[in-house]
Amino acid sequence: MPARHLIVGGGTAGMNAMRTIREEEGERSEITLVSAEKPYSRMVLPYYLDRSIAESHVFTATAAVLAQWGVKTLLGRRATQLDVKSNVCTLDDGTKVEYDDCMIATGSSAVRAPVPGADGRGVHSFWTLDQCRALIAQTTPGSHVVMVGAGFISFTILNSILALGAKLTIVEIAPRILPRMIDATGAQLTERWLIDHGVAVRAGAKLTAIEDADGRKRLTFAEGPEILADVVIMATGIRTNLEWLKDSGITIDRGIVVDERLRSNVPNVYAAGDVAQGRELIGGARAVHAIEPTAQEHGRVVGANMAGREVRYAGSLLMNIVEVCHLDIASFGAWDDPAAEAVSAVKPDRPAYRKLLFTGDRLTGAIILGRSKDVWTTNDVGMLKGLVQSQVSLARFKDHLRANPFDIKPAFIASKTTGALLPTTVLGRPSKAPGTTPVAV
Amino acid sequence: MTKILKIYPEKCTGCLRCELACSYMQTGEFQPAKSVIRISPFEGHTSYAPYTCTQCDEGWCMTACPVGAITINAAGAKDVVDDICVGCKLCTIACPYGTMFYDVDSRKAFKCNLCGGAPACAEACPTAAITFEEVETADWLGDFAAERTERLLVETH
Repeated sequence: MPARHLIVGGGTAGMNAMRTIREEEGERSEITLVSAEKPYSRMVLPYYLDRSIAESHVFTATAAVLAQWGVKTLLGRRATQLDVKSNVCTLDDGTKVEYDDCMIATGSSAVRAPVPGADGRGVHSFWTLDQCRALIAQTTPGSHVVMVGAGFISFTILNSILALGAKLTIVEIAPRILPRMIDATGAQLTERWLIDHGVAVRAGAKLTAIEDADGRKRLTFAEGPEILADVVIMATGIRTNLEWLKDSGITIDRGIVVDERLRSNVPNVYAAGDVAQGRELIGGARAVHAIEPTAQEHGRVVGANMAGREVRYAGSLLMNIVEVCHLDIASFGAWDDPAAEAVSAVKPDRPAYRKLLFTGDRLTGAIILGRSKDVWTTNDVGMLKGLVQSQVSLARFKDHLRANPFDIKPAFIASKTTGALLPTTVLGRPSKAPGTTPVAV
Repeated sequence: MTKILKIYPEKCTGCLRCELACSYMQTGEFQPAKSVIRISPFEGHTSYAPYTCTQCDEGWCMTACPVGAITINAAGAKDVVDDICVGCKLCTIACPYGTMFYDVDSRKAFKCNLCGGAPACAEACPTAAITFEEVETADWLGDFAAERTERLLVETH
């Protein structure tokens, strides 16, 4: 079944889809990739920022690799219009690409809080490779960096900024840090840890303006003292890149609404990653999960379907992990579900926190904090993911975990979670190693 | 069929030789905290069992890696390629078995790679509780642990 596949977006979902098409198809099809940027991984930009890797390390496919995959590339081009009746995608230079099926994976862009001066010189976003390059050029030892927004994105580059020898202040409009990743107790422990490691944190601070001040930047707030900075990073959220589909006839809610095979209301138009609103593993509702693992799984499921297989996606599991100054912070599933039965515990002698959320006798959400060097932190991170993902019945171990939220391993093993997980695969077959098919690095 | 680690939990005495052998092979240190096979106590420390990566079909760690740093080695094990791993920890939340590890000194993920085909844990185990066999991978510990937690669960400290 040779076909013409169009992939719009060369990020994680796009790369995974193309690779999976090549893994699954019987006869070689045509693949066209339209991407505004050369394919690279946003996940590893923080490591380029602190120069622990070279720039070449961030690219997920070189031109040679894409040629080896047999992908026709239209790089540096943006899609501007999709005609779903005649199956034609129009690009910003007027090029028209015909397709038999198409995957929309145009991702998200960083947005800045609507504050006077937010678009001025010396104010940065951290989302794209170009923005990373600009920040590298500006962040020098001894400089004062102010990050506006204390969410996941800021936290992924926190270590890098400190490693560059800069002084760091984080300001957040919400009353506490990481409001969309962990609960108040976890945030309090994290804030204390950051302050102990020399990071200034100011929550509940409403930024009113950013002005030039003798080559520096002055940040003023609704209340409290102003801050002088050498570099300002606006990490105030992301927005999905969907404006170009406004009049296409594709159903968009918070994202493109997709079915279990990740098809939109137009059956030969798929969506994946940040722009897709698909089935969620816990609860089964449709949600946008703008996270790397969802983009990977979406991309692979779309790729298999495009190659002619009928693969249904079980649903995406919300998960995040970030390490700041050797403190691991992670959350899974419905970690903020007010209807769940929650139990939590903090170790008195060190920063270690577990919050477990049960629905019936199943774990439907979890939050974990702990020092990276505590081996149990990493082990518990994985086992909590397994308990939420597998939805095993905990039976008598629910009471055990309620009484001992740190004793996750015996509950995991004796609930036979491993046995429940082993038959589970995303594509209904063992995964192939990168390199077995043309490699994505 | 490739060989994998098969665990006979009822034979484990909790001597920790596997952890010493493993940490030495993986990190060059005799340091159980750096072992990727880990002995779990059951029933108030009267029973023990070794727990490690099953080399699952999905390879959640491998498919999650944003830079393709986890591959399948000649022994059929999922293996981290140090030069490519940036230490982002995505594999540690993707693996639902809790068998991905992170070395704070090298800032790299690490895991059971079957020692490339000659697992040190199996060689070190004096009671053959850990063997290297041509079998389908399975949940070696579930039934044992369910039984050995019936009377007494391990309390946390």
